[in-house]
Amino acid sequence: MTLMQEFTKGLWKEMPPFRLVLGLCPTLAVTTSAENGIGMGVAVVFVLTLSNILVSMMRHIIPKAVRIACFIVIAASLVVSLELLMQAYVYSLYEKLGIFVPLIVVNCIILGRAEAFAAKNGVAASIADGLGIGLGFTMALTFLGSLREILGNGTWFGMNLFGDAFEPFQIMVKAPGAFICLGLILAGMNCINRWQAHRTGTEPVSIGCQACGASCKSCQLQMAMPEDAKKGV
Amino acid sequence: MKDATPTLLLSMSAPPYWHCGRTVFKRSIDQLIALLPAAAMAVVNWGLPALRVMCLAMAVCVAVEAICCWAMDRKSTIDDFTAVVAGLLYAFMLPAGAPWWIVVIGAVSAMLFGKMLFGGHGNNPLCTPLIGWAVLFISFPVHMDPNIVQTATSFIDPLARLKYFGVAEANAIPVLDLLLGHQINALGAGQVGALLLGGIYLLVRGQIRWQIVIGVLIGAGFPFAYLQMTDPAANASAVFHMCSGSILLCAFFMATEPCTAPAVSAGMLCYGLTCGLMMFVIRHFGSYSDGAPFAVLVTSLLSPYFDMIRPKPFGVK
Repeated sequence: MTLMQEFTKGLWKEMPPFRLVLGLCPTLAVTTSAENGIGMGVAVVFVLTLSNILVSMMRHIIPKAVRIACFIVIAASLVVSLELLMQAYVYSLYEKLGIFVPLIVVNCIILGRAEAFAAKNGVAASIADGLGIGLGFTMALTFLGSLREILGNGTWFGMNLFGDAFEPFQIMVKAPGAFICLGLILAGMNCINRWQAHRTGTEPVSIGCQACGASCKSCQLQMAMPEDAKKGV
Repeated sequence: MKDATPTLLLSMSAPPYWHCGRTVFKRSIDQLIALLPAAAMAVVNWGLPALRVMCLAMAVCVAVEAICCWAMDRKSTIDDFTAVVAGLLYAFMLPAGAPWWIVVIGAVSAMLFGKMLFGGHGNNPLCTPLIGWAVLFISFPVHMDPNIVQTATSFIDPLARLKYFGVAEANAIPVLDLLLGHQINALGAGQVGALLLGGIYLLVRGQIRWQIVIGVLIGAGFPFAYLQMTDPAANASAVFHMCSGSILLCAFFMATEPCTAPAVSAGMLCYGLTCGLMMFVIRHFGSYSDGAPFAVLVTSLLSPYFDMIRPKPFGVK
């Protein structure tokens, strides 16, 4: 794949929260407004790109047996520096995101990309991958945040959209709204993919094991199972 | 040789081969008959606005179900009347003066998120009408509070009276008033006497199981009665609690919905008791004055666990 393809795959084909269904903790928790979504997304782009670079540069030095610990140390150092930067320059956003900034350390996307991509590819490709996936994450969070803010608060980036007569649909900015929105968006994306596949006459795009990259036994186990056992019959 | 084996006509089909004649449609009709007295009492007590809310809710529920069936390319299921029952039960949870758009939003959410997205009647993990109520209650607390919506009335709100004026004031309300629905409450949930009648009809017809109803009533009533026995000056009576809020509506009509309740007797009893206890806990310790609908929602999520309580199969050691 070219660098451009590595970059663009994160924007739709492997969009983290909606296609890979990774990093759901911040996706559900901080997207009460579009601004929070964009802030969280930019923070993740920063950590993800730098962690991809560092992991990719050190991929021959890190021993296979302790690689997860090493990835976590790299991500944690980056997050600490990000926290200090946010405290210095965008303190109000830091206050709003709260505990979810330090929690970027354990964000599945950071570890997932380090393990599945940066540990196997060169620095340039890793940068493209980190930027693409990070941008996809930002877009997803901003979209979800906009949806919830517009419906649940009647505003977008703080701008009043509907005037005073609008009664906000408050459940959308509360916890259940996040699950409802995410479920509907996932259904919508599956619908679009199926429609596209139907139009071009191909199989619906499934990200499957190729994008996951991890060598988990459960997947192989599932594949070895007969067809009706998979359906849970 | 060939003639020696007689030709047998064997017809093959999938079981069950025997049917008792119960259908979803008949159950729905029974439920509607049981809800009729309460609906009539609601119109008597609240006038035409109550009728407006009930009709609108039922119409929207049926329309949403029809549209969903069409969009999902399925046989329309509106002729089993479950949507009508869900709409009426949902309307019973609303104040009579609820604006039309609230009724529509709640009815659409109830049918979409409470039923059709999971695949229709029987696949819903939670009680359909309660989903619509919960969405509205969280989103529009002001429009859902009967105390704020129903200003032009001489009735009183028993739960608000208990909360803000103390036990003596609450105990002074005659029980007959509560039974006749002379209280500020959701339009159907307040018609306690009529609901009791309808519930007993359903029990007699065998459409709902006594284990769940008795479980809920004991689970909620016993703690309240115990509290009142130990300290009558600080706690209202169990009868007062049964006749206020929506405990009776939930006990007879919501908690007993077959697709969300457990399937075996012992499980049903445990389910009912848990549900009643949750009602007591939310009402006594929580910030909501009436906790019954939330209690039913939470307990429905536990019913797979209650389903694990199974009778020993016959012939197994």
